[in-house]
Amino acid sequence: MEQENLENSQIKQAGAAIPRRSIWSGSITIGLVNVPVKLYSMIYDKGVTFHFLHKTDGQPLKYVKMCTKDDKIVPWNEVVRGYEVAKDEFVTFDKKELDAVKPESDRRIRINKFVDYFSVDPIYFDRTYALMPDKSKDAYGLLLTALEKKNKAGAGRITLRTKEYPALLHTYKGALVLTTLRYAYDVVDPSGFEELGKLKEPEKAELDMAVKIVNELSGEFDITEFEDTYMRKVEAMISQKRKGEKIQVEKLPEVEAKGLMAALRETIKQLEQPK
Amino acid sequence: MDELKNLTKVNLKNLDKTLYPDIKATKGQVIEHYIKMAPKILPVIVDRPLVLTRYPDGVDKAKVSFYEKNAPEGTPKWVKTKTIYSTASKRDVAYIICNDLDTLIWLANLAALEIHMPFSTAKNLDRPDLLFFDIDPEPPATLSDAAEVALLLKDMVSEIGLTPFIKTSGKKGLHIIIPIVPEHTFEKTRAFVHSLGIELAKKNNLVVSEFKDTKKPGKVFADYLQNSPMRTMVIPYSLRSTPNATVSTPLEWSEVKKGINPSDYTISSVVQRRVNPWKDIFEKKCKLEI
Repeated sequence: MEQENLENSQIKQAGAAIPRRSIWSGSITIGLVNVPVKLYSMIYDKGVTFHFLHKTDGQPLKYVKMCTKDDKIVPWNEVVRGYEVAKDEFVTFDKKELDAVKPESDRRIRINKFVDYFSVDPIYFDRTYALMPDKSKDAYGLLLTALEKKNKAGAGRITLRTKEYPALLHTYKGALVLTTLRYAYDVVDPSGFEELGKLKEPEKAELDMAVKIVNELSGEFDITEFEDTYMRKVEAMISQKRKGEKIQVEKLPEVEAKGLMAALRETIKQLEQPK
Repeated sequence: MDELKNLTKVNLKNLDKTLYPDIKATKGQVIEHYIKMAPKILPVIVDRPLVLTRYPDGVDKAKVSFYEKNAPEGTPKWVKTKTIYSTASKRDVAYIICNDLDTLIWLANLAALEIHMPFSTAKNLDRPDLLFFDIDPEPPATLSDAAEVALLLKDMVSEIGLTPFIKTSGKKGLHIIIPIVPEHTFEKTRAFVHSLGIELAKKNNLVVSEFKDTKKPGKVFADYLQNSPMRTMVIPYSLRSTPNATVSTPLEWSEVKKGINPSDYTISSVVQRRVNPWKDIFEKKCKLEI
């Protein structure tokens, strides 16, 4: 769904296109204060999306679930979810059982405390959403200005779709944004790697040299210095191919459908007539 | 589109796919042809196990077509079938029975451009209710020559009290059928049709009545061999796999004459014909004394 909001080219501008539709609405709750907001996607993952088509006739392909025993296509109503408890041993769930325990979105971003934004390691950052004022702009503006002034971020939680996330409410380029966070159990602590054991203490001369290099190459971070060269090449190929042969996906054309409907009505009438 | 769904159970697909590239006719037009012809087609093919020739990628020679007897995978439950054991391939074959408009539309949606029917019904497979004469001219003989032979045959069978009906094959020949009371075996009807062919050959030297002579140039073969169980002819108003989408078209006997041209009967012209020469064909069954 997010893909359809994208413009054809994302690399010509520094930022991605503004999405047209919000994906969630609710309010930021801080104690007794509510700030109504709409939530928009801010992050796009895929550069270029390809569809799989059938080489011989150009039609889109779909995935089917096939039984590994007899290679027959299995309809959805015969699918259950299996959790592998031991090799080749499963306990099964149907969708209803799992849905029953999923949290429901209560349409709130609950903020419990305010923290220093930089105290949250970006390792935990999952996905960032733009928050826009819904109905009243006053409360939104007030909260935004307060956070900017104190350089703080609100820590709390949000339920999106059916999953609850830890979240960080912060400011970005004059807007309130919400970054969902990963749970601690989702992140590896790298100090546990054996390879880190017994790192040699560097010699002073070596260290001085290394620090000198770091100093010389220091500068401001600028995301626009980075370019997705693969995507750029693919885009060049796309625009080249656009001029050549294109595969047209066949859809029901309205005109033909209208002709068919008229013919159908006429024939049905004729067939209903007593002989 | 929702409204289209209210009119037919069939999930119509790829309507703008070109099936006849030379005349740019699409699958939508093919389906429309079968819808419009349905009132004339259905009474003839009712209760007959059908055989299809499907052209999913159109009639281009380079593209695949296939002859299909067995109801294909994904055949909806509402499509009637008749299972017949095939001694040739030693397995059951589920033939499609098309007794309603939706089934006919479904066949067209499968790009089954050509639909073939046997000369007996599912209820009484071993007792043909049709005699079939395939009047097949070998070039340089033409459809005009076939017409001459057909008229001769018509006079012959009318004399013995039978009522013949005729259609173009949609290719180069003519098909004549005679409805009969289904009481004889195919062996008998085949022998009877063969004997009429022999009579014809005596009267007109254009005609050959034996299979071995079929490829003699300039001759017209009165083919009797199709009068056998599960041998078939294309159904009336079936499209053919010709570049210009010719139609196997039932004719009034008055239309059968010199100068008759198969390409006068195509997907675009046949729909305009007001006549229904095969109307009430099964009310004219004759008791055949052999």
